[in-house]
Amino acid sequence: MALWTPKPPVERTASGFRINLDEEERDLLRALFEQFRSMLLGTSDEPALKRIFPAAYHRTEHAELDTEYQRLMREELVASRLTGLATVEEALSTAPPLTEEQITSFMQALNGLRLVLGTVLDVSEELEMDDIADDDPQIAEYHLYNFLSWLLEWTVRAMSGT
Amino acid sequence: MSPAPSPLEVEEPTSDTTIDPDRPWVVLVWNDPINLMSYVTFVLQKVFGYSLEKATELMLDVHHKGRAAVSNGTREKAELDVFRLHEHGLWATMQQDD
Repeated sequence: MALWTPKPPVERTASGFRINLDEEERDLLRALFEQFRSMLLGTSDEPALKRIFPAAYHRTEHAELDTEYQRLMREELVASRLTGLATVEEALSTAPPLTEEQITSFMQALNGLRLVLGTVLDVSEELEMDDIADDDPQIAEYHLYNFLSWLLEWTVRAMSGT
Repeated sequence: MSPAPSPLEVEEPTSDTTIDPDRPWVVLVWNDPINLMSYVTFVLQKVFGYSLEKATELMLDVHHKGRAAVSNGTREKAELDVFRLHEHGLWATMQQDD
């Protein structure tokens, strides 16, 4: 009798981490991360980036403090995202094992993509793929979002496990 | 004897932009439909060094009550905490303790 265990897309190994994705999936991620990078370098008021740059001060009486915060920290946040994306690009083409830093950047980048895509799709907490009609004009984006969620969940599991 | 001042006059002036330096700031994480529960729990452990139990409890507070206070301190510390949470894509904001 054969025992078949599905291989997780991201796993912790004795020497670090391993991403078990084929070249096609890696190319898809590379393209998405590249789009994300272009958006970060583009206009700052891109609505899809709303969740990437949230307000720090939510109270209206602190609006001035938030303006100051955004002036000082937004650039830092972009720089931090870009550094992470560069690390991920390298990691996707590197033979395992990946380091903790590389897999952390991978996790943050995946989550960043989900924030952008989730904002564009305006997802709700109860999103179920079964509820999306096959002829929905955004069906491809929903599938992509689902793929990223699946991949992120496994990445978090791999990092949480000891 | 002068008449008792109207309550309006004795009230502390509440300039909206005044910041009391002695009142600590609280960092809040808000519920959102995108971030995964597992991810939020992991980030709270990573950023603040919280145990899995504490991070899970905070994450569930966010999920059920809409928000949770995850840290507090001076304005500078709160800003740094907010920044680190934003780096991880969490919806974090700060306010002065009421």
